[in-house]
Amino acid sequence: MADQPRGILTYQGIPVWRHAVLIQWALQILSAIAVVTLVVWFFSNVVFAINDRDIPFGWNFFGRSYGTPVPEHALPFNDSTDSYAYALLVAAVNTIILAVAGVILAIIVGTLIGIARLSPNWLLSRLSLVYVEFFRNVPLLVQLLFIFYFILVLPPITETYHIFEVIYINNAGIAMPQPTLSSGVAPGLGWAAAAGLGVFAGYTVYKLRNRREMLTGAVSYPLLSGFGTAIGIAAVAWLAIWAMSGNTPLGLSVPAPDDRFGRIEDGLRVRSGAIVMLIGLVMYTAAFIAEIVRAGIQAVGRGQTEAALAVGLKPVGVLRNVTFPQALRVIIPPLISQCLNLTKNSSLAPAVGFADLTNVGITMTQTAPAINIFLVIMLAYLAMSLAWSAVGNFYNWRTRIVGT
Amino acid sequence: MATRETTPGAILPPPRMTTGKIGWIRNNLFSSPGNGITTVVVATLTLYLLWLLVDWALGTADWAVIPTLGGTLVLGQYNSDSVCPSNDCFWRPQASLLIAMTYFGMLWAAAATALVRGVALTTAFAAAAMALLPLPFDEMGMDVRLLLVANIPAVFLGRWLGRHTPLGSTRNLIIIAFLGFITVYCLLSGTILGFVDIPGLHTVPSRFWGGLMLNILLAAGGITASLPIGIMLALGRRSNLPVVKMLCIVFIEFFRGVPLITLLFMSQTLVPLAFPRDFPLDEVQRAGIVITMFSAAYMAENIRGGLQALHRGQTEAARALGLPPWNTTTFITLPQALRNVVPAIVGQYISLYKDTTLVFIIGMLDILHMGSSFIGSNREFLPHSRELFLFIALVFWVFNYGMSYVSRRVERNLGVGER
Repeated sequence: MADQPRGILTYQGIPVWRHAVLIQWALQILSAIAVVTLVVWFFSNVVFAINDRDIPFGWNFFGRSYGTPVPEHALPFNDSTDSYAYALLVAAVNTIILAVAGVILAIIVGTLIGIARLSPNWLLSRLSLVYVEFFRNVPLLVQLLFIFYFILVLPPITETYHIFEVIYINNAGIAMPQPTLSSGVAPGLGWAAAAGLGVFAGYTVYKLRNRREMLTGAVSYPLLSGFGTAIGIAAVAWLAIWAMSGNTPLGLSVPAPDDRFGRIEDGLRVRSGAIVMLIGLVMYTAAFIAEIVRAGIQAVGRGQTEAALAVGLKPVGVLRNVTFPQALRVIIPPLISQCLNLTKNSSLAPAVGFADLTNVGITMTQTAPAINIFLVIMLAYLAMSLAWSAVGNFYNWRTRIVGT
Repeated sequence: MATRETTPGAILPPPRMTTGKIGWIRNNLFSSPGNGITTVVVATLTLYLLWLLVDWALGTADWAVIPTLGGTLVLGQYNSDSVCPSNDCFWRPQASLLIAMTYFGMLWAAAATALVRGVALTTAFAAAAMALLPLPFDEMGMDVRLLLVANIPAVFLGRWLGRHTPLGSTRNLIIIAFLGFITVYCLLSGTILGFVDIPGLHTVPSRFWGGLMLNILLAAGGITASLPIGIMLALGRRSNLPVVKMLCIVFIEFFRGVPLITLLFMSQTLVPLAFPRDFPLDEVQRAGIVITMFSAAYMAENIRGGLQALHRGQTEAARALGLPPWNTTTFITLPQALRNVVPAIVGQYISLYKDTTLVFIIGMLDILHMGSSFIGSNREFLPHSRELFLFIALVFWVFNYGMSYVSRRVERNLGVGER
């Protein structure tokens, strides 16, 4: 113990400059001080600059009326009375609708391409490889601009393309038939409720038949009977409401060109910006999802496929009942992160003129403080990201391997 | 006793229908009726689409829009009259390219693998081949073409330097990468890091840098800087110091949670206010820093994945041998973790390069801006905008496919997933 260093600068008998715990604490305190100093410096600079350079800043613009049209709006929007805050909400709903539609379509397209990539057919698998390698390696913005200009040189409204005078396609967008509540709210909602009940009943029937097939081995057509029940209930409800009220529960609004202005009236009209965004996001994300699906299916051991074939399942049955369910556990986490990417990529809408959150935000910066608007928008996107992470965590929790 | 001699019959070749080209076609395209129908349908569709494409590309399409834009696609307004009055700035990007090629040559000498040689030679010859572009000489002069051809000697000069001078050691190469980047910046801007003008060079502020050059510069800066930052963030996030860990988590999750475009907007509105008025940081640099930070946050998560996948035994064995924690990280865990996530890192590089096009939305003069503003101001080219954007798409595709090809080769050379 004689060679133990002694002095004021020791702690627990160790010199402080060699004491691991003390050094770690010193490091943490130093980094905290550095970060806090930096943040305070930035913050004070910003405060000073806002006063000094007359940068617009403040939160009271939210209640003022916006006064600018929002081209696409799923929620009703009146641009002369509605406020900035409500306009941002409308834009956020646009982003969410685009993201959800994009995610659903991208998952369908991506899964099909991913499965085609593993097809025993050489041509099909090569084609999906070409698809993946092309769309993955070209910036989304370039793809969006390509589609944007592609649609821009389609015929104008006055010379619109049409498919059987039901669907109209021109350089302003696309118009297609849309179900409406033209025969009153009560029959429409009543039928919707009945159809929802039908879907629930169909799902229950599917579960029961599936269980019977699994327990007894008797062929029970679970999918067929499930779909049959759902469609049957919906159809019966439709006919019943029709017979009772004399009107179909839902009307159909068919688009038609207006002769005076050369515009397309009625129906579901989607402006070209939304179409460009949807096509671009789906094609781009599908390439990534295809790779995830391929990797997921390949991660399932060969033995699983061979065993399933050996017990007599057909190739489609092997994929549907054996390989794919097991692959899902590998597929879902990166898939969720692709959904998140798609949501964030929808913020490229300003380049093609779709009124999403970012685009409306940029437009607002001309009449309101840019910093505040973008802070709000970033918070909105953070919330959407957190929502996706919550979905992912929920799935991980649902499919965790219990008891291993 | 008489024995009967049996002579083995001649070994017959396998049936013609199961080998060779015919066998291959039978196995891969017509192995079952369903497969055969798929082949016929898909082949018909593909041929029809290909025919449409070829018919369009060689018939209806007018590719004149690309030579009309010509050099502005590559350099933006860098060499235009308003920025560089005597139009003699074109040699500076080219000299930067030569510096990059020399560096590639030095890497070739240092790494001495077929892959690095392939990358160095391919890029040099591809750059030199640009000299043969069939553009009129008043648009692309002899001096431009000669400087492009000089890329081939440059790569060999670099190889010689790497072999016969002490510049080729790993440590020196890292230093040279940063010095080279600074040199290129000084050369392109015509100033010494934005402070002092270099006499004899026309000052070109970085807001006038444009075209593909801007995309490549932003990507090169990001690629150089995002890996070390990402490594530090990943290590910080895994450290057992709560304050450091929390700071890293906040940084990573913030940058990953918001779209890059909103960050870029903030870099043009809020960030300039956070610095004193005369702070030497212009729009393009701010955009570059934000893109790098964004990429570093993703990079950190990739590297963290690699670190988490390592078995604990590696760290424990290193500690048992008496390696201090810092050396355990730099010599044991980090190299293995990085090796395992090479594909993810290169994937992130590709994303980064693709993301540089986003500066178009905040009004910088990158390749998309040059294309789209040209179409906007010359409406007679509107019907041919498809050709232009297809061309831009192919330019990006070539770079990115090249990167992913190299990544797959590196993966195979390192034997990722085999040990």
